[in-house]
Amino acid sequence: MEQNTTDLALIQKVLKGETDQYALLVKRHQRFVFTLALRFSKNREDAEEIAQDCFLKAYKALGTFKQTAKFSTWLYTITYTTAMTFLRKKRLDTTSIHDEDTILQLENQTSSFNANGYERQDSHVFLNMAITQLLPDDAAIITLFYKGEQSLEEIGEALHMEPNTIKVKLHRARQRLKEKLQYLLKDEVKELL
Amino acid sequence: MNTIEQQLWDYIDGNLDEFSKKTIEEKIESNAGIKTQYEELLKLNSAFNALDLDEPSMSFTRNVMESIALAPAPVAMKTKVDEKIIYAIGGFFIVSLLSLFGYVLYNSNLSMPKLGFNVTLNFNLDQYITPTVLYSFLFFDLVIGLVFLDQFLRKKFAQK
Repeated sequence: MEQNTTDLALIQKVLKGETDQYALLVKRHQRFVFTLALRFSKNREDAEEIAQDCFLKAYKALGTFKQTAKFSTWLYTITYTTAMTFLRKKRLDTTSIHDEDTILQLENQTSSFNANGYERQDSHVFLNMAITQLLPDDAAIITLFYKGEQSLEEIGEALHMEPNTIKVKLHRARQRLKEKLQYLLKDEVKELL
Repeated sequence: MNTIEQQLWDYIDGNLDEFSKKTIEEKIESNAGIKTQYEELLKLNSAFNALDLDEPSMSFTRNVMESIALAPAPVAMKTKVDEKIIYAIGGFFIVSLLSLFGYVLYNSNLSMPKLGFNVTLNFNLDQYITPTVLYSFLFFDLVIGLVFLDQFLRKKFAQK
């Protein structure tokens, strides 16, 4: 019965004082928020910290949530800003998150998976590996579009960008992801597809 | 940036209008190269749809709930802003303005010599403006100011 309760109904309960109901909202969205945080931080510990901070911020600001919008979109906006603030504070590797060199380092680390005769792994493993090699924005857009059930407008709202920019970025991100898969799987990419 | 691949992705995503949709469908049917490309993108799209979400640690929900236990319970904005306070403040200013307008009116001489109209409203308000009235007025202002300050600080505290 709890699974059928909508996000909005749960929010209303929390606002009426049933704060323990917030746990259901956390359980419902934690995987996605954590994955999104991981796309930016590239590190499980940091991603968990970002995701926890995000749920805490969302709880404190729950009274300001406009209940005409989707809770998930609002939550992803908080995740994006929290992740950006976290990365700015931490100054990961003292390089920009948009720096291509950072990605090249990751490519080198995973190049051992490329050896001929390497036992074929589950396609999901390679796909997840390829997505971690994308730029944070690209990885976030792919995740929001395919797993977050978000429209281009909603992704734009969450990432503070125009829907047309998101559309172009999504196209480029898919191209890059395809290239990363080809790099990782060589000839086996056709079997995956 | 409107390559055939972009058009194919738009077709797969369902972002095309009827005319563009028919055009791309015709291209897929008539051109073997485009058809192969379309099938490849379709498989890629299915693979992306099958992406896995990562799982946080087992204690994640518990950790979040422990951290929110220390935070003040959220309250809906509607209950935060009591409408009665807004009406009271609005009413006070309307009464003040009307009183001021009345005071000015009663201390003016309305005369229209051409029409032989001359009205003198000799209404002495000085007897009403006593120190007690002035102190009451200032006290009421102070109360309103404190209510505003209280709300402002509460809002600031809630945002932190």
